[in-house]
Amino acid sequence: MFTKLILKIAFFLHRSKRYRDTKKLFYNFLQNPDYIYKRYFDSFMIFLILVSVIILVYEVEHQIPQWVDDFDLYAVTAIFSLEYILRFWVYNDFHTKIVKDYEEAKFLNKPFRVLSPIITTIKGKIEYILSPSAIVDLLAILPAYRPLRVLRIFVLFRVFKLLRYTKSIHQFIEVLATKRFELITLLFLLIFIVTTAGIAIYVFEQRTNPNINSLFDAIYWALVTISSVGYGDISPITPAGRVVSMIIIVSGIAMISFVTSVIVSAFSEKLNELKENRIVERINKNREFLIICGYGQMTRMFLKNHSLHSYEYVILEDDKKKVERGIKDGYNIINENASRHDVIAKFNIEYSNITLLALTGSDINNIYITLNAKALSKKINVIARASNDKIVKKFKLAGVDHVILPSMVANRMLLFAITQPAMYKAIYSMLTGQTLAQLDEISTIMHYKLVGKSIEEIDFKKHKLLFIGFQCGLKEEFIFNPPTKIDFRVGDILLVMGHKASIKYFKEQYGEIYYG
Amino acid sequence: MANRKAFIFGYSKRSTFLTKELQKQNFNVIIVVSEQDSYDKAKEHGYLDIIKLDMTDDDALEQQLDVEESDYLVCVMEDSHFNVFLTLSLKSLFPKSKIIALSDSFHVTQKLKMAGAYKVIDLYQVSANRIYNILNKPIATKLITNLLSSEHQLSIREIDIPKNSFLNNIKVDDFDFSKYGIILVGMIDRKLSEQFLFITSGLEHSLDRGDMLVCIGYNDDLDRFERYVSSACIKGISNEDEIKLN
Repeated sequence: MFTKLILKIAFFLHRSKRYRDTKKLFYNFLQNPDYIYKRYFDSFMIFLILVSVIILVYEVEHQIPQWVDDFDLYAVTAIFSLEYILRFWVYNDFHTKIVKDYEEAKFLNKPFRVLSPIITTIKGKIEYILSPSAIVDLLAILPAYRPLRVLRIFVLFRVFKLLRYTKSIHQFIEVLATKRFELITLLFLLIFIVTTAGIAIYVFEQRTNPNINSLFDAIYWALVTISSVGYGDISPITPAGRVVSMIIIVSGIAMISFVTSVIVSAFSEKLNELKENRIVERINKNREFLIICGYGQMTRMFLKNHSLHSYEYVILEDDKKKVERGIKDGYNIINENASRHDVIAKFNIEYSNITLLALTGSDINNIYITLNAKALSKKINVIARASNDKIVKKFKLAGVDHVILPSMVANRMLLFAITQPAMYKAIYSMLTGQTLAQLDEISTIMHYKLVGKSIEEIDFKKHKLLFIGFQCGLKEEFIFNPPTKIDFRVGDILLVMGHKASIKYFKEQYGEIYYG
Repeated sequence: MANRKAFIFGYSKRSTFLTKELQKQNFNVIIVVSEQDSYDKAKEHGYLDIIKLDMTDDDALEQQLDVEESDYLVCVMEDSHFNVFLTLSLKSLFPKSKIIALSDSFHVTQKLKMAGAYKVIDLYQVSANRIYNILNKPIATKLITNLLSSEHQLSIREIDIPKNSFLNNIKVDDFDFSKYGIILVGMIDRKLSEQFLFITSGLEHSLDRGDMLVCIGYNDDLDRFERYVSSACIKGISNEDEIKLN
């Protein structure tokens, strides 16, 4: 009966799209670093923590208004408690485990025990409760208990909570963790020296020095001295005690420089990686961006044009020398091999529209990069460079959306320059917009006033524009020179030619963004 | 048009397509090479007019090449240093001919222009522009690719207005080109200059003999329109064409 009920609930939750979506949404906000809106949640939590700490400090010397106290007591605590509960909820699923175990049992024809998946899931939940960050979260809620004034100091745990929301502190700890072995060795050495020196001074001076009354005093003195702080509240008075002092001072200097060098070397080793991670994190926050593979002539040429516009990009280059050059040129470049699965997987494939430009000099690399990207997500739009027309078929098979053949494009332009010189200039300026006229696309989604209007009504001539045709939104089919009676619909894209200023003015006239 | 002549300096992967297409369009193509390998390759591909000479030798260039003022000199050597040097040599020997050169970097482009090239096409810049346009103006790019490619039905064409055309003395604004299924993009008024004028720059121009119209349209429509233009007056359109128009 109990098993049946549990199974019923588990299957209900498993099938409910609404439940899954809600849980996924909370998961995204709380745990998913790739989720674009997570940063707003993080900023909000940081704000609450800071407010809470400011209230704590202000309260020491001043009387705070009741509403501020209430805000701190109820609102902040409620939000923190809710966060704690939600994190507990999204950490793992009861129903998934139950359904999985049940189906497995059914498949193997063995009896299903409902307790086993429940225990596994509870173990997971306990694991969560005992994790350092969850403990910090829990302690951060405690200051709300007013009868015990001392608990107010737990507000400082709210500061530790910042670790959750700020990447930089997190990274600092991660870097230190790479030198765990060295730091632990030094810690043991420190404990050894401090204890030995403390015992020595205790033995030598406990009877003669009025400031040393216990072993704790002696060890406190040793630590203050070795750290080169030297308060001076306790100082050795016997020659033997002074010798211990001298030894401890020298070893203290050595130890401090050693610790400093360990930390500095950890950072210098990780500096590039940290910088590169930052670039990846920053780019992942955009809805749309470019991943450019290879830093050669073509990439440089592309970026020269591209710098005029606000596309976000990142360049992946395998060759260290080229990376150095790219950094010197001031571009966002990281030293990674784009044909590796984990490199492309670092990007926010699920939530962003990514266009990948495979512009390395080798066809084999470009095809491999394309396959790598397409294997991760078919959504990634790939533009790849190919060396000759015989290989284009392979590129298409690999899933490239646009193949660029530099020699072919250049040859076509050469041919055009020779056979139709007058039009060469026309075509060139139409595309680049370098001279008076340019060819531009106007979307009816962005310019909703065009919707429902016919070509005749719009009267392009009056706007000093030449209407070439339009792409029908639904069919994605280009209609050249259509009849003037046709009405535009939402999703259509108009192709017009004209002076930059005329196009701008036209867009302004029809240009209110359509939010519907 | 068979008398149009183009000298292609260098025969490699970079120029095979160009050479083939120029020949298709009735150009008299003369390939000039300095190495036996390229000579053999060109021969193998069926070209007859191949000249092998030392391109650093000005005397050889002057004596062996029969260059006229209207000829095109296309420098597509693989070595960019040599390409610049050759451009300079050709400019000094044949100052009135049009030199078109292929470059592979911004710096080479600059040098080729300084050396006197009439037009320089940067291999990577045109491709970079293409990528940029695919991202920003995908439909416009597709249209222009179709216009430039011979495999599609849409094309852009230069149409000269002959002496007795019905278009003589007609104002550009008064004439409805869309009725013929084509779009007038711009024109060159040969009497004024060789400059191309876009229709949208506010032309208030009367068409007359010698003007050149630049139109976009389907090949059939363009062919038909070209026939109308050469007819003496609008009534000269044959019944059959008029039916097609409607």
